Amino acid sequence: MGTLVFLKESVFSDEYASRKGFMQSIDPRFKAVSFFLFILTALFTKSIATSLWLYLLCLMLVCVSKIDLGFFLKRTWIFIPIFSLFIAIPAIFSIVTPGEALVSFKLAGLNFIITRPGLAGGALFVTRVTVSVSFVVLLSITTKHFELLRVLRVFKVPHMFVMVLGMCYRYIYLFVEVVENTYLAVRSRVGRRVHYKKGQRMAAWNMASLWHRSYRLNEAVYNAMLSRGYSGEPAIFNDFKARPRDWVWLACSVVLTFISLNII
Amino acid sequence: MHIPDGYLGPTTCGFFYVVMVPIWALASKIVKKTLKAKQVPLLAIGAAFSFVIMMFNVPIPGGTTGHAVGGVLVAILLGPWAACIAITVALVIQALLFGDGGVTAIGANCFNMAFVLPFAGYYIYKVISHNSPVDSNRRVIAAGVAGYIALNIAAALTGFEFGIQSFLHKTAAGQALYCPYGLNVALPAMIGEHALVFGWVEAIVTALVIKYIQKQDPGLITEGRA
Repeated sequence: MGTLVFLKESVFSDEYASRKGFMQSIDPRFKAVSFFLFILTALFTKSIATSLWLYLLCLMLVCVSKIDLGFFLKRTWIFIPIFSLFIAIPAIFSIVTPGEALVSFKLAGLNFIITRPGLAGGALFVTRVTVSVSFVVLLSITTKHFELLRVLRVFKVPHMFVMVLGMCYRYIYLFVEVVENTYLAVRSRVGRRVHYKKGQRMAAWNMASLWHRSYRLNEAVYNAMLSRGYSGEPAIFNDFKARPRDWVWLACSVVLTFISLNII
Repeated sequence: MHIPDGYLGPTTCGFFYVVMVPIWALASKIVKKTLKAKQVPLLAIGAAFSFVIMMFNVPIPGGTTGHAVGGVLVAILLGPWAACIAITVALVIQALLFGDGGVTAIGANCFNMAFVLPFAGYYIYKVISHNSPVDSNRRVIAAGVAGYIALNIAAALTGFEFGIQSFLHKTAAGQALYCPYGLNVALPAMIGEHALVFGWVEAIVTALVIKYIQKQDPGLITEGRA
C-alpha cells in the first residue's frame, strides 16, 4: 500500500510543475536536452569538483523553481543515492581498492585501511549518482508528465512508442487505483497479517485479475480511439513553441557543459 | 535490477544503446505487422501491467517482501516482441518519471529486462510447455521455471555489466570511476540474491498468475499473442 501511495504522490502529482518558477517556464524540449547534457557531463567527468558543482547548480535551480528544498532532498536521496552510499563504503577500504593509506584503524581485531583512491572513487561514485538522480527528478517535477513524454518526439522516438507511452501513463493511474482499492478491500476483510504462502496467492490473484480486467478493456479503448479519429497511424500533436529565453537557456547549458568538461 | 545513472561508464551505456536501437526497430516492425489494429492498446496495457507488477510486494519467508519483474509473464501473454516494447515503455516511464533506473542506462536496462528476460523466458516456457493443453499443469510449471531461469540470466548479465566497469574505467592510481566492484564481487552478488530470493518470487508469481488465468479465462494465454 505504501508503495502505491508513494507512486501516486510522486508520479502523478503535477503540483510543482504547475507553479510559476524558473524551470517551469522553460520549454520542455529545451529543458530535457539541457538536463540530458548535465547528466552526460556527470557521467563523463572524472572530477569530484565538477560533480559537486553540478549538484550545486541543480540545487540552485531547485530554489529558483519554487520547489521546497527539503522535499527535493528527501525525494532524491531516498533510495538510490543512499543505497549507492552503502555500496560505496566497502570500496573505500584497501581490501577492495588498494593504494596510498589515508586512515587505518582496528575493529574487532581486524585492521581496516581507508585508501586515497578508494575514498576518491567512492565519493565520485556517490556524487555522480546523486547528481544524475537529482537532475532527473528536477526534470520530472518541473514538467507536466504528459508533456515530458511528448518531448521524446524531439529525440526521434518512433510514433508507436510515444503513443504507447502516453496511453501507458494513463493506464498506470487506472491500474494503481484498481490495485489500491483491491488491497484496501482485502485488508478491511482480513484485518491481520496472513501467512506468506497465502499472501503470495493473494498477490498473484490480484495480478491475474488485473490482467483479466484490463485485457477485456482493450476493445472498449480501441473503439474510443476510433471514435476520436484513429485510423491506424498515431498522430502526435506538437504544440510546443520556443521563445528567446528557451534558446538563451540552452546556450547557457551548452556553455556550462563545455566548461565543466574543460572543453573551453 | 534497475541500473541507475553513474553505475556504468559511457562506453557501456553507449554500447547498449547501439545494441538496442535495431532491436527496438525490429520489435516495432514485427509488432506492427503481427498485431491487429484493435490490439494496439494491448501494448499500453502490457506496459502499464509490467510497471504495476513491480509495485506488488510479494511476501517471502522471514516476514519480508520482494517484487517480481513480470517480464516473462508479459512475454507469455503478449509474445516476446510485444513484451520487448511493453517493458521498454515501462522502463522509460520508470526512469523519466520515477527516477528508478538511469536515463543513460536505459539501453542496458532494456537489454537485460526488455530483451534478454522476455526472450529467454518465452522460449524456455515454449520448450517446456511444448504443445500441452492451455489448462495443463505443465504450462504452470513451465511458466515458473522460465521465470526463475530468465530472471537469473538477466541478473547475471547485470552483474557482468557492473563487474566489467572496474576493468574498463580506472585511473592510474587505481581509483574506480564507476561501479567499484570487479566480476569476482558483482557477479556472485547479483546471481546470489536472485537465485536465492528474487528468482523464486518471479517463479512463484509467474506460475500462480498463469494458473489463475487458466482457471478464470484460459483464452487469454493464447489470445494476446494471436
